[in-house]
Amino acid sequence: MSKLTISGLALLLATVSCDTTVTNPGPVQDEFLADRNAATAMVNGAGRAISSGLNWISYTGAAVAREIHPAGSTGSFGITARWQNGELNGDDADLNTHWEQAQRARWLAEETLRRLEEVGPPPVGSLQTPAQYANLLQLGYVYAGYANRLLGENMCEAVIDGSAALPNATFFTRAESLFTKALAVTGGTAATMATLNNAAYAGRASARVYLNKWTDAVADAGQVPIAFVYNMPYFNIGNDDQRNRIFWASGNSRESGSAYRAHTQWNTWYYTYRTATNDPRVPITVTTLEGDAAIECCGKVSFWPEAKHATSAAPIRLSSGREMRLIEAEAKLRSSDVTGALTSINQVRTHANTATITATDLTDAWRLLKRERGIELWLEARRLGDMRRWKEQNTPGALDPLELPGASSHLQTQDLCFPISRSEKETNPNLRGG
Amino acid sequence: MPGFSPHRITWSVVQWTFALLVLVSARSVAQTGTITGTVTSESGQALAAAQVSVVGTSLGTRTGMDGRYTVVNVPVGQQRVRVQFIGHRPMDQAVTVTAGATVTSDFTMRTQALALDAVVVTGTGSAARNREVGNSISQIDMAKVQLPSSNIGQLLQGRTTGMTVMPSSAMAGSGSMIRLRGNVSVTMSNQPLIYVDGVRIRSDGYQRNVPPTGSDLRSGNDVASPLNDINPNDIERVEVIKGAAAATLYGTEAAAGVIQIFTKSGRTGRPQWSFSVDQGFVRSLPFGPDPLEAPPGDTIFSCTTRVNNACTGTMQAYRDSFPDRFDGLPTRGVSRAGGTSSYLFIDPWLRNGLRQRYSLSVGGGGENLRYFVSGAASDEEGVLPNDKEARQAVRGNFSFMPINNILFTFNTAYTKDNIANTAAGNNAHGLTLNAFRRDRNYASDDRPEVVEKMLNQEINSDITHLITGGSINYSPTTSFTNKFTVGYDLAQIENRNLRPFGFISAPSGIISSRRNAYENVTFDYVGSYVIPQLLGLRTTWSWGAQGVSAETRETSAYGENFPGPGKPTVTSAGTTLGFEERQRVVNGGFFGQGLFDKDNRYFLTLGFRVDGNSAFGENFGLQYYPKASFSWVASEESFWPEWNPEMKIRAAWGRSGRAPGAFDAVRTWEPVGWGGQPAFYPRNVGNPDLGPERTTEIELGFDGAFFGDKLTTQMTWYSRDVDQALFSARQIPSLGFLNSQQQNVGSMTSSGLEATVNYTVLRTSALEWQVGGSLFTTSDKVKSLGGAADFSIGNFGWIMKDESIPVIRTDFCVMNPEELGAAPEISTNPNDCVFGPNLPTKTYGINTNLLLPKGFNLIVRGEYQGGHYMYDGAAYNAITRGIRWPGCYNFYTLQETGRTAEIRPLDHARCTQAASRADYFIYPANFFKLREVSLNMPVPTRYFPGSSAASFTLSGHNIWRWLNDDFPVFDPETGNNGGFDSRVRSILEHVPPPASYTATFRIVF
Repeated sequence: MSKLTISGLALLLATVSCDTTVTNPGPVQDEFLADRNAATAMVNGAGRAISSGLNWISYTGAAVAREIHPAGSTGSFGITARWQNGELNGDDADLNTHWEQAQRARWLAEETLRRLEEVGPPPVGSLQTPAQYANLLQLGYVYAGYANRLLGENMCEAVIDGSAALPNATFFTRAESLFTKALAVTGGTAATMATLNNAAYAGRASARVYLNKWTDAVADAGQVPIAFVYNMPYFNIGNDDQRNRIFWASGNSRESGSAYRAHTQWNTWYYTYRTATNDPRVPITVTTLEGDAAIECCGKVSFWPEAKHATSAAPIRLSSGREMRLIEAEAKLRSSDVTGALTSINQVRTHANTATITATDLTDAWRLLKRERGIELWLEARRLGDMRRWKEQNTPGALDPLELPGASSHLQTQDLCFPISRSEKETNPNLRGG
Repeated sequence: MPGFSPHRITWSVVQWTFALLVLVSARSVAQTGTITGTVTSESGQALAAAQVSVVGTSLGTRTGMDGRYTVVNVPVGQQRVRVQFIGHRPMDQAVTVTAGATVTSDFTMRTQALALDAVVVTGTGSAARNREVGNSISQIDMAKVQLPSSNIGQLLQGRTTGMTVMPSSAMAGSGSMIRLRGNVSVTMSNQPLIYVDGVRIRSDGYQRNVPPTGSDLRSGNDVASPLNDINPNDIERVEVIKGAAAATLYGTEAAAGVIQIFTKSGRTGRPQWSFSVDQGFVRSLPFGPDPLEAPPGDTIFSCTTRVNNACTGTMQAYRDSFPDRFDGLPTRGVSRAGGTSSYLFIDPWLRNGLRQRYSLSVGGGGENLRYFVSGAASDEEGVLPNDKEARQAVRGNFSFMPINNILFTFNTAYTKDNIANTAAGNNAHGLTLNAFRRDRNYASDDRPEVVEKMLNQEINSDITHLITGGSINYSPTTSFTNKFTVGYDLAQIENRNLRPFGFISAPSGIISSRRNAYENVTFDYVGSYVIPQLLGLRTTWSWGAQGVSAETRETSAYGENFPGPGKPTVTSAGTTLGFEERQRVVNGGFFGQGLFDKDNRYFLTLGFRVDGNSAFGENFGLQYYPKASFSWVASEESFWPEWNPEMKIRAAWGRSGRAPGAFDAVRTWEPVGWGGQPAFYPRNVGNPDLGPERTTEIELGFDGAFFGDKLTTQMTWYSRDVDQALFSARQIPSLGFLNSQQQNVGSMTSSGLEATVNYTVLRTSALEWQVGGSLFTTSDKVKSLGGAADFSIGNFGWIMKDESIPVIRTDFCVMNPEELGAAPEISTNPNDCVFGPNLPTKTYGINTNLLLPKGFNLIVRGEYQGGHYMYDGAAYNAITRGIRWPGCYNFYTLQETGRTAEIRPLDHARCTQAASRADYFIYPANFFKLREVSLNMPVPTRYFPGSSAASFTLSGHNIWRWLNDDFPVFDPETGNNGGFDSRVRSILEHVPPPASYTATFRIVF
């Protein structure tokens, strides 16, 4: 028995000495984020999430809206055959990323706001100052507003936090509310507030366009000076997720590390326009290279990449004063004020150092307005939304044939919004089977 | 505690000292003689390392390579000499020893096919005889392995029924996927646990050599295996237990089975030196269609003048400019580089990779101290230009018995491995992808001087691997044993990945340096106590406790934009980034087991294991795993007739588990950074109730030897259920957490049959011919997803109710694939697009062994795997980019010659660029490969004075294969970017594993 006792003791010692409690470093446990000082990183996370969603949607949307022409790659940083054809179909699992990234941006921004509102302004003696809190809170509202606007302009339908499918306008209603809350924030530092107030006015104006609240939209637009620009930044710091995707997909020969020549301006309306006008808003680089593969419509095509996003750290605008002038112009056209509309459009063109234009009639003015928004908002994830709302509202003024399916372009079809993703439909009990 | 009485300890020391003195003095005055002899097999072959003992004494030795033995100082008089050798029936012979004389006693050992009294230890608690074990244990006896293996993966391939070993590519250092009875887990690793001399080592692969940020494809895109760091020449035997019923005592983590490697130990006697040298080469077999199958129009041409992408100049036969490059090549199916469709146009860069290995060992020792020391060095080229592996390994195994009942063993191995790889896989900066795609590659140019610029990427991995462990065996009595083992496994890899300044696709240069350390610490105690008579039974009680700490650490640095040419470091770069990750998982548990033996024929084992694990959720607690098994040595019943077969019938039932990942149970956020600022993303929803998945298995088996052991067979049927299976429950994207959450929601089932049959067709004194076959069939399916949605685990592998684990399923498929001339009818209903399992469901092996006169031995082994499907992403990637793909040659020919009525709709869907979808590239992956052809020839020792044995072996590995006709390019053993760690096997831009040819010379002194 004594020997059994020894063995038993050894067994016990071995078992007891084996502590299976381990806290691993790296990922942060949820409860730690209750610390108000973590709020900065959460707001930044929301910003990065928007930049990611914007990155995916702006690129694929540009392919379908014919802001770019496919030049080869279909896999990494490429344009799939279906997107090349103009198809954004609900059964396409490749579109999961677009929905998921944009939805994460919305959820994260709103979750961040929930936590910020819950903790409230910092008490005296906190590491975080009241001004820092106000700045974060206002930035959080602005991000949440833009995240909703991005979804609204590009998604066919809305889903909020696992809800059933809702009208696409839901996103704009939420964006309008969030921008309004951003404008109500006080106590931030003056310079930050000035920027964020402009961003909130501009964002709310663009959301109100989709809500057909033209008077309110024009009122907001009027608050924003023409020189104002609010950018979503991108970074060339070795992480492809933080690079400007449109640039990186055609970065070959332009920036070290990118292998791709996945899109070109060959056979686009923008190339034609640039050649004719030399408008600096549509810069294009003409090279002697070809795309990085062949495409079904056209074989191997010339590689003439866009140069608006000239590096992988090029920002993408979320709003600008020039866009506000175009909102004003569109509002005037809706009142058949051609002269006023052209004045607003030419304000933009003058500010952009390009020649002014004239219209022959209201339809022509609409055509120019649509063209101008294409030029001004080129490669900023805005074109699909514009094309969709104009089509739905049956507004006058034609788009260039190269932007549309038909003999001039390779597009077989042209879906003007991204569907609810397959992944959402397969996991959301309120959508399953739908 | 009387056992610790100082008085008793003092008494014991005095007693032993006295006894020793008496023994020594008695020996010095006794009359003794010598016994010598030779031990051979029935075929006359010398049996090395047979255990020889003089019954009733502590005298004994092992035979040398020539089968000879000598026992000195044997007391005079009648003695019985007993010889035991693995796989042979024990033999006793009586001898009469006379003083000062030598008596000869030769033995001809009869094969004991079932080896019922051989000892096994894996999964049995304490050491057990085969007859006592109710589950199947496969053993690979290295003495019987003739094929020289460059690594363990190659060694294990096709040797054990129920074990599937699949390589990933032709890359140097490539590891192999190992599955025992298929997949047991959907989300966790399916690699079995690996133990080396009782020390747990890492089973999963090393970190892939890829930069920690940016594209994760800029790599050779293969994975090395820590298992391959073990020198095959150091191994004495391998034990494999395949399922939960056998692995219960290993508890959590053991559901995928256990492979235990036992390395050699020294033998009593004079030092025995062994030296072997392998020289050989690897060579790719064709993996594409013959160029003559290319459409007539697929000739090489170039355009002398282009305007706006349109060719306006004269089309000129490109090949005419380079007559040497194209000498002997057909006019079609050829690339500008001189590559052919047979090798997907990469043949200008393929080579016969030379391989050489040298191994030296010495073993020996006395009664109390034994040693085995070895060293090996190898230098192996791959078939791709940059591929090379240089490995050096040393080992020292020591055992020391200071007194009769205590044995210390201390085994240490250290391996240094330098692997250089060629950029390959789905790597836009890689050789394979750009060669396969020809002029539509990322350089838009298939001239060799352009494509070979991809070789300037340097991908180097330095591996150092230390496996060390010590154990103390303390046996106070013959019936009471204790073994305590401490093991330490430190596998480290430094991955350096450089695209130098001026590199074709990254002119400013990119570098990464990545260091990963994998540390496993093992504590293992096992005790056993035998009660010879308890209620009429012989009982063996075992108990034990184990603790395993598995820690992984990674620090990595990344830099881009070098100031200029030269050999850079990360510091040289204009932009630098740093990364760190570390995690540790601790598992602790204990077990108890009782073995009840009735008449040495009936054996009942009952046991349990209890585990805690740091990855369990905070609400979970401990996990309990029971087991029971029964073995009946039926052949020892008295009712059998004269012909007396050997038979064992066995049954086993047991449970084991698989723990979740280190972070799976906790709700966490991921620090991701954003432009240099801190940022969080939601990462993991968390689940405090998370526990291990539990695998319950029952197996029934039969081992038999008939007709004088001419016919041997083993059969095992198993049925396995996994409940609380860890499934990745996809989260609702609009709720922000995009990562799936592990949930114990699934249940799965699996069953299969393993059978081996070997028959000795001919056995004479000069010739023996054996033929054999094996069969492994398995069927598995998901019983329930627990309400979760079907989910993909990548590469078209899906987890779906009532389907395989995983099943290959696509979103689109062609409903009329064979209806010649018809347009493809496309279904978008996933239920129409379920193909089948991703792992083989049928594995058949054949082998023959021909023992020829003068010791020549010819072994041929082949293996068929089938019933499975895999995705070929490389083909799709090419076709969707407008590349004329050799897999579509037949389609192109029919289409371009107007024979559209002969076109299969499936080929139409695959090969038409605009209509093509990845979903259409699913292929049946059945194949047969000739795993081994080897001829061993003894070399007369007279040519090597002082030697006791020498042999020369010529061997080939995977030198011939058969593929399904519907599998047009590559090889089903080709992998993707994830190497052998991929959960779903699929094909990307890799060169398939090559054939190898080796000449080996071995000599023993």
